[in-house]
Amino acid sequence: MKASLINPRGQAPGSDNGPADCTTPSDFIDLSLLEDSLAKTVWERMLANDDALRLADLLQSAVLRRRAKS
Amino acid sequence: MQNLSELTRRLVEAQVEFVLIGGFAAVAHGATLVTRDVDICCRFSEANLKRIQHALGQLDPVQSSRPGLPLDLTPEQCSSLKNLYLKTDLGIVDCLSEVLGIGDFDAVSKQSLEVELPFGHCRILDIDGLIRAKEAMNRDHDRITVRQLKEIKNRQQSG
Repeated sequence: MKASLINPRGQAPGSDNGPADCTTPSDFIDLSLLEDSLAKTVWERMLANDDALRLADLLQSAVLRRRAKS
Repeated sequence: MQNLSELTRRLVEAQVEFVLIGGFAAVAHGATLVTRDVDICCRFSEANLKRIQHALGQLDPVQSSRPGLPLDLTPEQCSSLKNLYLKTDLGIVDCLSEVLGIGDFDAVSKQSLEVELPFGHCRILDIDGLIRAKEAMNRDHDRITVRQLKEIKNRQQSG
């Protein structure tokens, strides 16, 4: 049951998630993200998780490649 | 490449008797954290475990505890297993016979709801059950998930 502190937009806690009143770093509940998610069907939410995973893996691979070069 | 939706589809289409639990169930309810594996609670009968093996058979499944060995469940293994942790080409599938805070498969099943997916119906631990299970686990990301689930529940109740 592993989850990571990135959200389906590929953002980490404390990053610029949008309007300042939508989120607090301490609880990491971005209400605008939650609204987006709740507007989707269950299946669309599952697919969004997969999309976010792929994006996170691409970013991690890019960082590793850059580290290997330097 | 990880594809948790495809793993779920294969389990449903193979008619595995299971309830989706854990982070992917939280995602299904609307939580915005990203999860990297599929956690299910399932009946640990030989027939059902064989269905899991069949569902994931084309994805080179291996038991995490027996890396390098293809998944090939024997009746003896099926009768003694409590949990089955699988690695596949599309991601990790953790199969549990019970859920902390809730109980065995029958208890988990009672605490679940059925959702319609494009390929069939899938049972998912309901939001109260998920909150209870996550509170029982009480890891950092579980606490964050619980806060999101409670917010989702509040929104559902307020219409």
